[in-house]
Amino acid sequence: MVNEGAITGERVTMGWSLKAGEVLYSLRDVSVDYGTRTGLVKAVDRVSLDIRKGEILGLVGESGCGKSTLGKAMLRMTRPGKISTGELWFDGVDLLTLSQRRMRELRGARLGMVFQDPMTSLNPLSKIVDHLTETVRTHEPKVSEAAARDRAERLIGRLGLREERIDDYPHQFSGGMRQRIMIALALALRADLVIADEPTTALDVIVEAQFLDLLRELRDEFDLTIVLITHNLGVVAEVADRVAVMYAGRMAELASVSDLFLDTKHPYAQGLLRAVPNIELDDAELYQMEGAPPNLLHTPHGCAFHPRCPAAMPICSDQQPAFQPVVGDHHAACWLYEDHPDKGGDGGVR
Amino acid sequence: MTEPQSARAYHDASGEQDILVEVRGLKKWFPVQRGLIANLLSRGHTAYVKAVDGVDFTIRRGEVLGLAGESGSGKSTVGRLVLRLLDATEGQVLIDGVDLGTLKREELRKARSKMQVVFQDPLASLNPRMTIGQAIEHPAQIHLPGTTQEERKRLVSELLEAVGMSPPDFFYDKYPHQISGGQRQRIVLARALITRPELIVADEPIASADVSVQALLLELLIKLKEDFDLTYLFITHDLATTKYICDRIAIMYLGKIVEIGSLQEVFENPQHPYTRALLSAVPVPDPRHRRTEPLPSGEIPNPINPPSGCNFHPRCPIAVEGVCDVEEPTIRQLADVDGHEVSCHLRTGDYQHLDKAIT
Amino acid sequence: MATELESPPDPGQVPQWELELQQVGLVRRMLRARRWHGTDWWFVAISSVMVAAFLVIAVFPQWFASHDPLEQVGPRLLSPGELPEQEILVVPVDGSIAAISDFELDVRTPVAVAQDTPSSDAARDEADRITDEIAAAGGEGRVRLRIARFETVGEALDSVVAGDAVAAVISSTAFDDLTADFPTLQSSGAVSSAAQDATSFPLGTNQVGQDVLSRLIWGARIAVIIGFSASIASFVVGVPLGLLAGFIGGKTDRALTLIMDSIYAFPGLILAIAIAAVLGPSIFNIIVAIAVLYIPTYYRIVRGQTLQSKEELYVEAARSLGAKSKVILGRYIFPNVIPSVAVIFSVNVADAILTGAGLSFLGLGLPPSTPDWGIDLARGQEFIRSAWWLITFPGLAVMLVVLAFTMMGEGLVEIFNPKLRER
Repeated sequence: MVNEGAITGERVTMGWSLKAGEVLYSLRDVSVDYGTRTGLVKAVDRVSLDIRKGEILGLVGESGCGKSTLGKAMLRMTRPGKISTGELWFDGVDLLTLSQRRMRELRGARLGMVFQDPMTSLNPLSKIVDHLTETVRTHEPKVSEAAARDRAERLIGRLGLREERIDDYPHQFSGGMRQRIMIALALALRADLVIADEPTTALDVIVEAQFLDLLRELRDEFDLTIVLITHNLGVVAEVADRVAVMYAGRMAELASVSDLFLDTKHPYAQGLLRAVPNIELDDAELYQMEGAPPNLLHTPHGCAFHPRCPAAMPICSDQQPAFQPVVGDHHAACWLYEDHPDKGGDGGVR
Repeated sequence: MTEPQSARAYHDASGEQDILVEVRGLKKWFPVQRGLIANLLSRGHTAYVKAVDGVDFTIRRGEVLGLAGESGSGKSTVGRLVLRLLDATEGQVLIDGVDLGTLKREELRKARSKMQVVFQDPLASLNPRMTIGQAIEHPAQIHLPGTTQEERKRLVSELLEAVGMSPPDFFYDKYPHQISGGQRQRIVLARALITRPELIVADEPIASADVSVQALLLELLIKLKEDFDLTYLFITHDLATTKYICDRIAIMYLGKIVEIGSLQEVFENPQHPYTRALLSAVPVPDPRHRRTEPLPSGEIPNPINPPSGCNFHPRCPIAVEGVCDVEEPTIRQLADVDGHEVSCHLRTGDYQHLDKAIT
Repeated sequence: MATELESPPDPGQVPQWELELQQVGLVRRMLRARRWHGTDWWFVAISSVMVAAFLVIAVFPQWFASHDPLEQVGPRLLSPGELPEQEILVVPVDGSIAAISDFELDVRTPVAVAQDTPSSDAARDEADRITDEIAAAGGEGRVRLRIARFETVGEALDSVVAGDAVAAVISSTAFDDLTADFPTLQSSGAVSSAAQDATSFPLGTNQVGQDVLSRLIWGARIAVIIGFSASIASFVVGVPLGLLAGFIGGKTDRALTLIMDSIYAFPGLILAIAIAAVLGPSIFNIIVAIAVLYIPTYYRIVRGQTLQSKEELYVEAARSLGAKSKVILGRYIFPNVIPSVAVIFSVNVADAILTGAGLSFLGLGLPPSTPDWGIDLARGQEFIRSAWWLITFPGLAVMLVVLAFTMMGEGLVEIFNPKLRER
């Protein structure tokens, strides 16, 4: 069976043997549904995405766009939501076909996750060294206690924490340090892919900057692939290689970081970039996007963004545009770049 | 920007813009609660969290002063002290010439109609059991006893329109959880404005809204300032937003102001090493941007045990041993720039000759 | 160039779908809630039907109870559905006689009875009665019997089979035992036509002859009175104290909490017994005893919620608006504290009913003639083997009612839990 990257058509092969740039994890047509009191919510709506080895992929959007859900879906941790369609190709296998036990083995070992709130992600009753050694020995039972402790100490040191502190409890560390510990947990098992969900949102500016530098270093040294989920465009500009923008559970745009910021295609992404305060710029005008992100129980018909879009056309309220390449590897889901017989007027590229 | 109104220009005689808020030597120390044994061991020595440790500033009418800093800087505490939601350990807060600390409970309560606060989390600031109409009307009920229900309802509608919630009748009977986050913050603003205050302390007012909505809220804040002749104390950790609304800005670190001046001055000519580091660390939504300053090492120290001498010295790239770790600097004006003050031995203190870095 | 659409919505304006959503009625929302809440919805639905039924019965017992609970309406210790013992006429299956009124007049009809039973009297009474009826109708003639006494019922029946007697008058229970041995004989009903209307009782009668079912139904009223009154009393005392203690704090809080904790630490039933014993027997005193028991529960919950609410941002916001403490307590804290208590009320009523039954079981409180479940339980103890229905049905009643209230309360707690609400 040839496993192909959903978008690029590249082969998805075994993690260790991958070279940089090859597709490591491929999401194909993935949807995640949640049941709520008033109806079914499609938190993620047929998203396809390839993640390449060695890259830092930024997953950007506002609240309710589905980015966190997508991150959880990658580890099949969407409960109580359900992955209703699609495939998750990793290491030559569709993760959705794996048993719970097999999935648990993968989590932590090959796929790591760093959560948003460092305050509550760690067990307050366990020492840091216990967190780390337990993780190691659960997945690699043959490793001795001493060897596990040794690995833990080296990791802690590498992450900028004093090795003596390995016997301390989580509450004795600050937020930034706790996030580093979370990364250490992901690294302890030499995960191939780390999904970081809003890792710096709760951190101060300077600590955030330190953390981002650390991510870059770790990526280089440990050959990590990182999916960085955030709503902060500045963070993404600083550290990501490629950026995916989501809106209302759907993929809006996917491009290299410079292409996204300097040659934005999707009107939502354009608006977003102009709405974000930029400390470097001198002009004192912020773009104001009309309306608000839609309620997922009632996603607008056709393109989800059309009620707020300054470039909306008749076809936008009628049919959903496909997420496809616009220029090279730069993808967008917008009728401005897609041809359709029903498109009225001048459907030229902006 | 604001047109002087004769009813308010008490101090305008000399042509100086009058000062609405004056803060002198403000301190707030929280005693640390400890167990019986710990107390015995330390022999009655109480430890304090020095959240605010000597802060001075003024805000003129119609001005927006930004108060920026990271966690532990004490900026939120300053906001609460300015409104006397907390009692100061030391120091004074003068609003319109009146020392808040001298007011009795009833007088203070009445004074609240003139100074309001907007907190970060609008959902938490609104009583989940009160409708929007009731929430906005409540301050009017408290402070405008002569009005009838009809008149108050009319005021509420006016304010709903002013904050862009239209049609007002639709929102009147809704509950906070039935509207979006950005809309809630507007309601909080409407509630704050119904008694026509002069001062608004905004503590991270837009931080909990979505990115695309933040711009709208910021715009609304600016518009309301002009429509209602307001003065803002704008507390935030996001320096980028201060560019769009603040006239002056003060940078706080561990309970003290390290730098204060006009927005342009501080951003273009930052003097304090912490300010420089902070400005440089702010992520910029432009992939071409590179950081100009090295990041300070380590993290913000524990406010219970601040470093000796200058609070920032353990992390400071230009700290001088024997000076910065021994003596606390005082905030002083930069030699050649009016209104720009810095608290650093090497920049404005007595040790400027030791400053190797050339800015 | 983009074609001009309708102008984008005002950021403050609300889209159409939201307006429509508001119009969904209460019933539809309740039904939709079923899918959402699953098991808990059924819990609440079933139990609230039970509770409603119980309340209706308790408020209008006269509609449901066919007898006066205090009156002796039947023989003692009749089992459920059992017909009271009567004297019946036993005749040959294919004979022509169906009742004493069928006997030939003025002929001494032979009738078999067992000796030392009231059968002969019953037969003679009925004969005389019919004679009087005939006379009253202006007729002539007498119904005359020739009573033949036998040692056993079996011999009496034999004589009917043999044809020596036209019919036998024996007790219904005796015939029930022997009916298999005399396939040619059948019962033609009670001898005395007046006794025709003897009915069975669905749940039997107790040792005094009172209808168990009627006592059960009237007992519901007592249970409701005790349960609700006690709960309401605890609520009215405990909640304001909790609010005060939580809001004011300091010495008031410490003093009140000390008192409440002391009461709370006492084993419930024992405390109730002590209070009831001290106060003396009366329904009012039972209510007081039970109420005191539950005041600390409300106090603790309300105090805890108040302490929590006090720290909420909207309370600080209210203070910053210049609201007075009274207003903050009344409009900001109280409405947010009440929901958590309201659902406890339901479970509390269940507990109060149970405790009330327990107290009257021990004989502490109600006048002995009151139709009350506890009293019935106590009285039924000695008959637990001979007349199991005396203790079983009151016990089941208590259980069902307590179950209904508890289920309803627990279900409501789950539904109103805000953490679950968001999903």
